[in-house]
Amino acid sequence: MHYDILEKPDFSLVRVRFQAPGEQLLVESAAMVAKHSSVDMKTQMQGGLLGAAKRKLLGGESLFQNTFTASAAGEELWLAPGPEGDVEVVEMDGQTPIFLSSGAFLASAPTVQIDTKWGGAKGFFSGAGLFLLAAQGTGPLFFCAYGGIHAVDVGPAGYICDTSHIVGFTGGLEYQVTKVGGMKSLFFSGEGLVCRFQGQGRLWISTRNPSGLVSFLQPFRTVQSS
Amino acid sequence: MRFDIQYRPAHSLAKVSLDPNESVVAESGAMVGMSTNIQMQTQSGGLMSGLKRMFGGESFFRNTFTAANGPGEVLLAHSLCGDMVVLDVPAAGYFIQSSSYIASTPNVSIETKVGGMKTFFAGEGVFVLDATASGPGQVLVGAFGGIQELVCDGSLVIDTGHLVAWDKSLTYQVGKSGSGWIASFLSGEGLVCHFQGQGRIWIQTRNPAAYGQEIGALLPPRSG
Repeated sequence: MHYDILEKPDFSLVRVRFQAPGEQLLVESAAMVAKHSSVDMKTQMQGGLLGAAKRKLLGGESLFQNTFTASAAGEELWLAPGPEGDVEVVEMDGQTPIFLSSGAFLASAPTVQIDTKWGGAKGFFSGAGLFLLAAQGTGPLFFCAYGGIHAVDVGPAGYICDTSHIVGFTGGLEYQVTKVGGMKSLFFSGEGLVCRFQGQGRLWISTRNPSGLVSFLQPFRTVQSS
Repeated sequence: MRFDIQYRPAHSLAKVSLDPNESVVAESGAMVGMSTNIQMQTQSGGLMSGLKRMFGGESFFRNTFTAANGPGEVLLAHSLCGDMVVLDVPAAGYFIQSSSYIASTPNVSIETKVGGMKTFFAGEGVFVLDATASGPGQVLVGAFGGIQELVCDGSLVIDTGHLVAWDKSLTYQVGKSGSGWIASFLSGEGLVCHFQGQGRIWIQTRNPAAYGQEIGALLPPRSG
């Protein structure tokens, strides 16, 4: 399949053009914008009820996902995430897994296996969700974020990222949730906790996060009179 | 130090490249990512200036990021969607609307100037920061929406909610927008800033308070 991403980075839209009948794309629920009417859509719980429930509860993804199947070459499918923001795509090579934070998954080839990964106690404070989605296999993997997506190639020196801005990272990177600065900074810096990445790989950071907007809007809500 | 602003205008991100031992001062909470050799120090600049700053609608604390043992980078962003610009601080300095400030070079001194009771009651109070530099300094400001540079040649009237920064050479006065208080209120324009003199004014193309009132009102009520 051929694909490109239009309207980057503010209002990204994925356009997929299938190259052969039978080609498939697995898509997060509600992400379809348009398709040729002959492209078949099947809704299913990927990985059975248990797998889907785990993904929903732990990975922040929907219970159901849709599989789109082409019936002829040249058919097209358009996808977009709910909020405004960027979409990135990685052609998976069968070797390096990619870990996505909750809600970042948009679509993937059926040859990419998606599983939830226990973030472990180290993910406990991360705010990015206790759980990560682990993607492994070959073919395209599309992921999205609120805001722009900024890629950082992490070398031996490592990199530090605010936990609420992590979109995903490649295998080969290890992370640790820590504080920055001294005790005073932990409480007063406004920086909260950060993820300290070590190893060799690529890290994707979102330039905004939805909680910033939500906490701005919160005081503007009317107050319920009791 | 170099500021490089990417993903403009809606989701702008400032990459600050620091030489060894160079520092950048940033608003609390603005850091998105950084190299591992960056040391962060939180400072309130003393209790009084901290309190004054909090009164100015800013957070109490600011962070200083310093590259130790080699060069490093810091990524900074605003919490709301919008553009950023880097302004060279002139000898005379700038006034900056408090929530627009994101970062500055260490030789820029940022003082809170309390805008007076009249602005305090406006809800969208114009609390103003006084930025002056000892030597060539820069300040990074962020907007809600896009940023436009306007030139004041004589006089100009600007809605207080759209102000980002202006040359200190301008005199300004916050006041009503219409001929009377009732007309001002009914016009929906609220308080405006009357500028006099020669200088530049940077405005943001959206007003955060207007956005909050319009969108926030559509959300279900919160309790208590």
